[in-house]
Amino acid sequence: MASLTIKNAVKRYGHVEVLKGVSIDLRDGEFLVLLGASGCGKSTLLNMIAGLEDLTEGEIMIGDRVVNDVHPKDRDIAMVFQSYALYPTMTVGQNIAFGLEMRGVPKAERALRVEQVAKTLRMDHLLDRKPAQLSGGQRQRVAMGRALVRDPEVFLFDEPLSNLDAKLRLEMRTEIKRLHKRLNATMVYVTHDQIEALTLADRIAILKDGEVQQLASPAEIYEHPANMFVAGLVGSPPMNFLDITVEAGEAGPAAWVTLRADGADKPVLLDLSAHTARLDGYVGRKVVMGLRPEMISQGTTDAGQCVQCEIDVTEATGADTLCVLNWNNQEVLARGTSGYTKILEGTMDFTIETERACLFDPESGLRLD
Amino acid sequence: MSDAARYSAPRPWSALIMRLLLWFVLIVFAIWFLLPAYVVVGTSLKDLDEIRGGSLLALPHELNFSAWRHAWSEACIGVECTGLKPYFWNSVSMALPGVVVSTLLGALTGYALTKWKFKGANLVFALILFGCFVPFQVVILPMAQTLGKLGITNTVYGLILVHSVYGLAFTTLFFRNYYVTIPDELVRAATIDGAGFFTIFRRIILPLSPPIIVVSVIWQFTQIWNDFLFGASFTTGGAQPITVAMNNLVNTTTGVKQYNVDMAAALITAAPTLLVYIFAGRYFVRGLTAGSVKG
Repeated sequence: MASLTIKNAVKRYGHVEVLKGVSIDLRDGEFLVLLGASGCGKSTLLNMIAGLEDLTEGEIMIGDRVVNDVHPKDRDIAMVFQSYALYPTMTVGQNIAFGLEMRGVPKAERALRVEQVAKTLRMDHLLDRKPAQLSGGQRQRVAMGRALVRDPEVFLFDEPLSNLDAKLRLEMRTEIKRLHKRLNATMVYVTHDQIEALTLADRIAILKDGEVQQLASPAEIYEHPANMFVAGLVGSPPMNFLDITVEAGEAGPAAWVTLRADGADKPVLLDLSAHTARLDGYVGRKVVMGLRPEMISQGTTDAGQCVQCEIDVTEATGADTLCVLNWNNQEVLARGTSGYTKILEGTMDFTIETERACLFDPESGLRLD
Repeated sequence: MSDAARYSAPRPWSALIMRLLLWFVLIVFAIWFLLPAYVVVGTSLKDLDEIRGGSLLALPHELNFSAWRHAWSEACIGVECTGLKPYFWNSVSMALPGVVVSTLLGALTGYALTKWKFKGANLVFALILFGCFVPFQVVILPMAQTLGKLGITNTVYGLILVHSVYGLAFTTLFFRNYYVTIPDELVRAATIDGAGFFTIFRRIILPLSPPIIVVSVIWQFTQIWNDFLFGASFTTGGAQPITVAMNNLVNTTTGVKQYNVDMAAALITAAPTLLVYIFAGRYFVRGLTAGSVKG
């Protein structure tokens, strides 16, 4: 196992800058997820770690060795591809053993290691089959086996679950998590699925337009997103963004909010005194308030400020019933009750946990800290 | 009129007439195309008396293979009366290496152009493709000079070289277009696994190639076997391929024109390509339409 250091990695194709100076430090055994929409540069970064693409500028180190000019096969990495990239004409066993064969591992040892890996991944009965005879999930396992058998310093995953159906994806996600726990290996995992990122990662690096937006633990990213892009990307259902104007209230900053669909009611003054320090200098100016749906819950509790809102639409998802509210003429999603315990309609009480809200500067999009 | 009536099937008798008309047209065209072939085969099985006495379309009285034997081993080509046999083997020893070399090189070029993209790879491909459109007559003089410099004029090796070089444009096109459909991730995975350029070619790419290899082999075999121009231009006498020899056989007449021998010679010359199409034809179509190789 080894640490992985990326120093100011830049990638340019002609005049197009795909990566604009990315620096990430991974300690030994850490699980890093690179999260971002397609075209953000996350796959390019992974390919650069693998050695499949050159860096324009910067440095990549595996352990304490600079690997910029080291051939992929000598970097001691293994990669799982989105399409699995199994060799179609070889059997599962040959697929797994290919890397060992190329490294001159004797045949007897090869067979032994393939068998071990096959047992670990519960596919020892598949070794003689061709990839075309396998289901999607089985192919996925073979791809993992091919990486595992090499026992590399760093594992690289390029959206390995995106070709699986929803149920299998959940299973394999757990499998990968278990694998990481057992091997305690350094892993870099590329995905555009924020749930995968949140569940798997020790740390997440969120990329946009070739720049790291935030590099932090899943909890930190969820609770304290660095900017509106991160806040909008992570979390399902996504965070509500409410445009408000900060006023000077009696106890500190506050904002007027209308809570009815037609906006005809008297506005309610939302108490933002918990954010006094943050909103210093913003009185009289517009800010964006980010509220996750679970910060607006149905009923009266003492967790936050209670208000009466008119419910526009409800969406029952089974586990939760979501309510679409209408504040300041903007749609706001709230988590109503859990399950089907109560019929939600008309005007009801909601508790807003304004303390936990995130506040963003509307121009820069950065979170006010 | 109700919808049901409007869309009901046409009456049986009109359908029958259409069907009969269809068969009639198909049969007429089949006869049209098969008639020359029938005349060639039929004439080759007749003796000269029968040819002179009977109709062109009459069936031969008996299966008489003497014209075939004569064409194969006795007929005079120029002054040598050896039949087509030695020239047949000339063609075999030219076509087989020519096919193997041009197919293998085409596979390698196609692989390099798709899986190891370098700057200007597309330009190189476009230039190679250009070779498909160069008429062979244009290159005869420079090629004759080249063969002269290399000292392989009037040899089978010279023809192998010429056919390998001019086949490359087509074989590269075949393999390049086939390899484009093989996912690049396979090559990436193999690279990380530690395989190099040739190992990946041999272990991963080539095993995926049989459909397109069949296409390339059929195409190249037909081209090389049927070539007349290069054979006539670059060889004389004993080194000639069968196409040129057959032409000379037909033109070498002493006294009576032996139509039956000429026909037999033509069939012997055409036989190998015919056989290749009969046995591998369906792989040819399958290979041309072969798409992705989803693993």
